[in-house]
Amino acid sequence: MTLTTEFDDRTRSERVSFEVVHPLDDVPEEKVDTEHLGPMQMTRTVRVCLYALRGYLLLMFGLLGFRVLQLAGVIQS
Amino acid sequence: MVTMNHPARPDAQASAAPASIRVSNKWVAHALTFLMVFGSGLIVMEADNDAGAVSTYVQAGAQYGTHLLWLLLLLLPISYFVQEMVVRLGIATGQGHAAMIYRRFGKWWGRFSLADLLLVNFLTLMTEFAAIALALGKMGVDPRVGVPIAAVGLTALVTTGSYRRWERTVVFLCLIDLAWFFIAYRVHPAAADIVRQSVMPSLPAGGLTASWLFLVIATVGTTIAPWQLFFQQSCVADKRLRFSDLRWARLDTLVGAVFTILVAGCMMLAGNAGFQRHWDFADPAQTAVQLGGVVGPFVKNALLLLMINAAVLGTTTISLSSAWAYGEVQGWPHSLQKRLRDAPGFYAVYALCVMAAAGLVLIPGAPLQLIILSVQVLAGLMLPSAIIFLQLLLNDKEVLGDRFANKRWNNLINWSIVILLFVLSLLLAAQVAVPRLFPNS
Repeated sequence: MTLTTEFDDRTRSERVSFEVVHPLDDVPEEKVDTEHLGPMQMTRTVRVCLYALRGYLLLMFGLLGFRVLQLAGVIQS
Repeated sequence: MVTMNHPARPDAQASAAPASIRVSNKWVAHALTFLMVFGSGLIVMEADNDAGAVSTYVQAGAQYGTHLLWLLLLLLPISYFVQEMVVRLGIATGQGHAAMIYRRFGKWWGRFSLADLLLVNFLTLMTEFAAIALALGKMGVDPRVGVPIAAVGLTALVTTGSYRRWERTVVFLCLIDLAWFFIAYRVHPAAADIVRQSVMPSLPAGGLTASWLFLVIATVGTTIAPWQLFFQQSCVADKRLRFSDLRWARLDTLVGAVFTILVAGCMMLAGNAGFQRHWDFADPAQTAVQLGGVVGPFVKNALLLLMINAAVLGTTTISLSSAWAYGEVQGWPHSLQKRLRDAPGFYAVYALCVMAAAGLVLIPGAPLQLIILSVQVLAGLMLPSAIIFLQLLLNDKEVLGDRFANKRWNNLINWSIVILLFVLSLLLAAQVAVPRLFPNS
């Protein structure tokens, strides 16, 4: 094998080699800067739906709490 | 330098990252990358097969045989699609879910979400320790000794200052659940029944009853839980997954979802053994004792140990989801990579959750059955609203751009899931409000 061929073979083998790095060992990637974006723009409808959802959840939490206390015998039915 | 899974540069030797591995085969590189990324998807899914899930699935099998297997199959794509969104959000932003809600919806919504999460997580933790106490009791170990030891061990598990060490340990615990396949095999289920009931939804002999509906909702609430959203996104952020890791993280999540649903099916089959013999269901530990009398003591002990394993998995992941979320919102250092002295607040929240739940369970006469019931109902009620926040975040192109934001088909699937969960949540709400709405038997 000539010196040139040997060099070509080595270059080819380097070209097809792959380097695998664990995410924790890798240099951290630059992600989207979410800190300075501020709150999301929401339409009035979305905002109203979220408030309605919150109201529903609070109501159900209260109802569930009442039922649990009732079942535990703390509140007489 | 971001050098993974691509041809190395000729000068890569000099500038390679310290722990990089060079391979000459593309497929080997892919496999290695997957193994490095693998973990959070399997953990988040399998940890959801926690003590409450064991109880729910075994009860479903004990009361309805194989009649609810179709529901598990339906829940497989649902759980995958929900968690896939979390993976995308975590990889794109490098932030946890609680942090994202705070930043994009403001403090008001952020505090509500955090309070909901901490409440339901804490109640769930109590059910995990209740299961540990129950299983230890059946094995002849005094819970007053066993429960504190479990709490200390669970705290020690996270305080090693290494995400990798924690992840490998927990993946090992997840793989212990392979023993469920052996148990399912030992109870000799009818293969034809399994196949038929998995693909053809049917009502049990008694028709639509309150207890059947409750088990359907509990199964859904058990398979997809709000803490999972917070947990996996924080995992992805803590592990610093890169943009190029997305496909492997998706595969990890899919593998986790398939494994979890199969294990859940095995739990139902274990319960089905009791259904075949017309045993009354009390709790999974009692089923283990009854099965031990028929199949052998090995199965009894294996079932009890698997119950403890499920509770341990649930405890570490749920406590971590609380600690990560609280740390993100407070702006404290919050990483498993940090040592105890570098993130005291984060570890204190974790330890407080674990110790307080363990302590409360040991109080004699604590209404544990009521707490278990409340947790399932609460999780079922919270889930649709948690997913709506997730949906809105995934449509936030200002943050995610076109590459990571939901596509039209994503939204179609995800809104369908939200609607389905809402219908179930409303049925649950109706049942809570009017207990005699559906016939009892």
